[in-house]
Amino acid sequence: MERADAVLKLSNITKRFPGVTALDDVSLELARAEVHALVGENGAGKSTLMKILSGVYRQDGGSVELNGAPVAFRTPHEAQAAGISIIFQEFSLIRTFDVTDNVFLNREPTRLLGHLDKRAARQKTRALLAEIGIELDVDRRVDTLSVVEQQIVEIAKALSVTASVLIMDEPSAALTDKELRKLFDIIRTLKSRGVTVIYISHMLDEVFEIADRVTVLKDGKVVGTRRADELSRDELIRMMVGRTIEDYFPPLSSQRGPVLLEARNLGTGGRLSGITFQLHAGEILGIAGMVGSGRNLLARTLLGLEPVDTGELLVKGRLRRFRGIADAMAAGLGYISDDRKAEGILGPMKLAENITIASLPAYLGLGFLRLRREASDARAEVERLSIRATGIGQPVETLSGGNQQKVLLSRWLLRKPDIFVISEPTRGIDVGAKAEIYRILRQATAAGKAVIMISSELPEVIGMSDRVLVMRAGTIQGTVDQHKRPATEEQLMSLAVGHEFSMEGAGKEVGR
Amino acid sequence: MSTGAASARKPWYRRLANPNVLVWLILVVLLAICVAASPLFLQPENLRNVFLTQPIGLGLAALGQALVIISGGIDLSIGSVVSLLSSLAAGMYRAFPDLHPAVIVLFLLCLGAAAGSINGLIVVGLRVPPFMATLATMSLFQGAVLFYAPRTIGGIPRSYRFISDGAILGVPFSIILFAAVIGLCGYLLRKNRLGRHLYAVGADPYVSRISGIPVQRVRFLAYLLCGVLVGVASAFMTARFGGGGPKVGVGYELDSITAAVIGGVSLAGGAGSLLGTFAGVLIIGVFYNIMNLLSVNAYLQIVLKGAVLIIAVSFYAKRRV
Repeated sequence: MERADAVLKLSNITKRFPGVTALDDVSLELARAEVHALVGENGAGKSTLMKILSGVYRQDGGSVELNGAPVAFRTPHEAQAAGISIIFQEFSLIRTFDVTDNVFLNREPTRLLGHLDKRAARQKTRALLAEIGIELDVDRRVDTLSVVEQQIVEIAKALSVTASVLIMDEPSAALTDKELRKLFDIIRTLKSRGVTVIYISHMLDEVFEIADRVTVLKDGKVVGTRRADELSRDELIRMMVGRTIEDYFPPLSSQRGPVLLEARNLGTGGRLSGITFQLHAGEILGIAGMVGSGRNLLARTLLGLEPVDTGELLVKGRLRRFRGIADAMAAGLGYISDDRKAEGILGPMKLAENITIASLPAYLGLGFLRLRREASDARAEVERLSIRATGIGQPVETLSGGNQQKVLLSRWLLRKPDIFVISEPTRGIDVGAKAEIYRILRQATAAGKAVIMISSELPEVIGMSDRVLVMRAGTIQGTVDQHKRPATEEQLMSLAVGHEFSMEGAGKEVGR
Repeated sequence: MSTGAASARKPWYRRLANPNVLVWLILVVLLAICVAASPLFLQPENLRNVFLTQPIGLGLAALGQALVIISGGIDLSIGSVVSLLSSLAAGMYRAFPDLHPAVIVLFLLCLGAAAGSINGLIVVGLRVPPFMATLATMSLFQGAVLFYAPRTIGGIPRSYRFISDGAILGVPFSIILFAAVIGLCGYLLRKNRLGRHLYAVGADPYVSRISGIPVQRVRFLAYLLCGVLVGVASAFMTARFGGGGPKVGVGYELDSITAAVIGGVSLAGGAGSLLGTFAGVLIIGVFYNIMNLLSVNAYLQIVLKGAVLIIAVSFYAKRRV
């Protein structure tokens, strides 16, 4: 599909991270003055691709051409100088600076010898905001602004350079409907001036409203590029999912015990509201939803890492109010975060020490650690979960991702919690280790424990969960009981992106 | 889009939580205590000592320290650089007694810049964490001065001592010097692009990088500037001390950090002011002074200093959480 007016041409881009190929032979062409939507599941590679385009990452293979000339940006600044601006998903603002200083960060209007011309900066910022049609005090510190206002500062920052390509990475995530209209107006204005906009979103309504063309990414590969007006929603969703469910999932639970945990109308800070569900002994409750849907926030709230503002949380029939994760642990909860490195393993410490760290009191005798007992228990765990290591003294950071995850599982299993909350149980893990982790989780439920599993991998959610909660915008959009009727990826995706998907046999059991 | 009326109308007591205001308040309270505690405190000679003579040397060094901390680093080598530079200045005079003071000062500024560059290169080029890098150079410079001049070298001529003792139109030269330096640095931090970048890099290196700020160059410049300021401090201290030696800068590394932190400079980087730092310097000076006036045991003074530092820093820490 060679186009004469291609502004940007990506050819065969490949990017690998340790243990995962984030982008695999991705080719993409962008026309001048088009709005090009980039869609795909979480982890499909959208953000990685944009980070390569904007000079944050460098590709391992493939080339980028801008206006016909090959380019390789080493820094975001170089990309910006060449006319490619990006609005990052995580805001690129200095929180202690005011609006003006953020908009013109590193492009401060100056006079002689770097003397800042604050008045000019202020005026230009006001003009930019006026152009978008927004009123905002340019002297306010960014950390006093709401998320939406910060987003606007971000947009103004990107617009302050004359960009020929503007990348928006999920700009709508925090916007209300009215603000979204405004954003679309801005995009149309830009387009009429010849700017190419790359719009990343998983809100399909937005994609169909604003995009000229749509490219679908999946597992780091391009599924296809289509004109938006020639594409139906159902087709698009099928392009986004449509993976065959691999058959390494153990069978669903056969018993369903008493209610271990119950949330009644839980809410926190307006970011989570009306969360009501029950968790039974012996079941795995899957939680699906896009990034920002509140699925991880829900986990953190259950564990006392976020305050509960409204509603009630009952654990084993008792009303609980956790002030921290220690309270939650004492009440029988265990938690494995999705950030294995930052919130999981103790990297340089030994395997055995990592396993016993959450149950150290059990290894104390007269104030001394019983190292021999610790070692023998650790060895038993290594054996039981078939953790592959040179010995129990090996530093955990030198294990593979899968084995690190097994160490975390054994750490918590050793504590014998009744309720396990696990986020992204198999992120960055190879298929073999995945199957073993699934087996371990099922063993736990067979022993009468309950598991809440948050995952962005739909096949995993479907393969492992007895029931699935789908979240969007901080609320539960629907509950699917897989013992009644198995869920489909399309069905879960529809709930997660807020689109009624028409397909015969897609049973939906909304609300509770 | 609502603009926050809340931020505009802060109650007065909330304003006090601003470290830039708070630190001066603490100073006033401390002064009141001093006046009440010792009649000697208000003696003109003592006041001159506390406000005009004492704070200049540490003040100059602390400004450099503040610049580095604001950019997200730290400099533990300041004290030993001051000692080394004063010794070298005195050594120069011993070898060439007829040198013009300006030549010596220029010499010290260059040496200070060199010392700062060494710190900067280790931090930026070798990627050694600032704490370790400057801990190592602290040892390096302190060892060098002990090797070069185990004992104090005196013999600084009167002409040079103008820097600490002289006056222009009745205004002590040291005050003019300090005012000029803090004015220049304050301008640099608040009104110049470089200062903006120092704050940005200290506040969020990642955001700075993706905004195209040359983060490593800015970090290096922070150490370089600090080095120059330490050079100025050394020039002053050589004059005041009348010579150079291994003890001239003793305690400066920790006192400069203490002054900056008391003055509201965040050890995490990205926040703080030079005026606040100067207030911190005065607080430390007044504190030492009253301890001496009350003849508190020298070792006990050190204990009390530690206690005061804990109180001061915990005060700020609470606000942040």
